[in-house]
Amino acid sequence: MRRMLIVFTFILLTAALWLGLTKGSIEGPPANPDSPVRNIIYAHVPSSICSLLCFGVLFVAAIGVLSTGRQGWDQLAAATAEVGLVFATVLNLTGMIWSRAEWNTWWTASPRLISAAILWFLYVVLIILRSSLPGSTQRRARVCAVFAIIAFLDVPMVIISARFLPDIHRASFDFTSPWQYAAFFLSMIATVMLAGVLIALRTDLIRVNTLLEQEEY
Amino acid sequence: MRYFLTSLRAVFMKDIVTELRARQVLPTMVVLGMLIVWVLRIACETAAGSTAIIGPVAFWIAFLFAGLLAQERSFATEEQNDCMDGLLLAPIDAGTIYLAKLLVNIVMLCIFEIIIVPVVIIAFGLRIGGHWPSLIGVLLLGNIAISSVGTLFSAIVQLCRTRGSLLSILVLVVLAPVMVPATFALLLKFGAIPAELAGTGALAFVGTFKTAVGYMVVFDAVFVTASWLLFGFAIKE
Repeated sequence: MRRMLIVFTFILLTAALWLGLTKGSIEGPPANPDSPVRNIIYAHVPSSICSLLCFGVLFVAAIGVLSTGRQGWDQLAAATAEVGLVFATVLNLTGMIWSRAEWNTWWTASPRLISAAILWFLYVVLIILRSSLPGSTQRRARVCAVFAIIAFLDVPMVIISARFLPDIHRASFDFTSPWQYAAFFLSMIATVMLAGVLIALRTDLIRVNTLLEQEEY
Repeated sequence: MRYFLTSLRAVFMKDIVTELRARQVLPTMVVLGMLIVWVLRIACETAAGSTAIIGPVAFWIAFLFAGLLAQERSFATEEQNDCMDGLLLAPIDAGTIYLAKLLVNIVMLCIFEIIIVPVVIIAFGLRIGGHWPSLIGVLLLGNIAISSVGTLFSAIVQLCRTRGSLLSILVLVVLAPVMVPATFALLLKFGAIPAELAGTGALAFVGTFKTAVGYMVVFDAVFVTASWLLFGFAIKE
C-alpha cells in the first residue's frame, strides 16, 4: 500500500514537472520574455503551502505529546520538523531566484520575505534544540513540544502577511491558459503528497532508530 | 487568590533579594549594554545622519542581549544545591513560579533600561520632546515580550550542555516577529522615518505607530499566556 503511494506520488510529480515545462510553461518577465524563470511558481507556491502545513502537523503532534506523552507523537513531530525545513528551504531558495529575476535583488525586506525567512529559522532552531537535548527521554519530547507550540504562535503572522499586507510580492498569480492551471494544481497535489510520504518514511526511520538505541542499553 | 499572591511574592522576593545582595548579573548587563551602544555609536561615524536611525535600533539590540543574560541566570541559579527540586516540591503551581520569574526578569530589565536609555539618548543625540510616555510604553511592551519567552526558554535549556548559546537562538528567533514592529515604532516616534513612508515596504508589517503598538500588545498577551500555560510541561521531570 505504502509502496504504491510512493510510486503514485512520483508519477504525479513527474507529470506535473513535464506539464509545467511544456504546455503549461509561463512566459518570462517583461524584460526577458524567453526566460523560463516564472515556471518556478510550480515549485514555489506548493512548497510554501507544504511548509505551513508541516507546521500545522507539528502543532498537532506537539499537543499530542503534551496530552498523551506517547513516543509516536514525538517521532512524528521530529520527522515533520525535518520535512518542513526541506520545504521552507525550497520556498526561500526559489523565492530568491524569482526575486532576482523580477525585482533584480536577491532579497528585500518586505513582509512576506521576512516572514518566510522567520519560518525557515523556526524550523532550523527546532531541529537544533532537539539535537542538543540529551537522550530520547520524555523530557526532551515535552520540551520540544513546548517550543513547537510557541513557534506555531508565530505562524499566523506569516499567513496574515501573505494575504493582507501591501507588498512587492503578489498575493496571487494570474494564469492565462487552462494548461497552466492544470500544471499548477497537479504540482500542488503532488507536492502535498510528497510531503506526506516523506513524513511517513522519516517517522518510520526515527522509530527504528529509537528501537535500536533502546536495544543497546 | 490570596495563596497565589503569597506564593508569587515569596518566589519573587527570593530572586530579587538574591540578585540585589550578590549582584551576579546586573553589573554585567549594564556593561554589556554600554559596550553595545558604544560600538554602534562608533559605527555611526561612517555616514552622516545615521545616528537618528541606529539610535532607536541600539535600544533593542542592547535590551535583547542584556535580557538574555538576565534570563539565563533566572534558572541557572536554581541548579546549585538542587534548588530546582526544592522549588518543584514546594506546594506552588508551576504557573506561579513562571509568573514570579517573569516579574523578576522584567524588573531587572527595567533597572537596566533606567540606566541605558539615558546613555543611548545622550550618545546618539536623540530628540524626544514630549514623547516620553509613548517611549516608556513601547520600551515596557518590548521588555515584557523579551522576558516572556526568555523566562520559559531559560527553563527549557537547563537540560543542555550549551545553555547560553541555545537560549540566545531560541529567544531571538521567536522574538523576531515582535522586534520588527518594536523597532519601527521607535523609528517612527523619533522621526527617523518620514510619516508618508509609514505602511509601505517592510513597514507594511507595522503600519503606523498605533498599529505597531497594538501588534506588540497582542504579542505580549498571547506569549505571556502561552508560556504561563506551557511552563509546567517544560520543568516537569
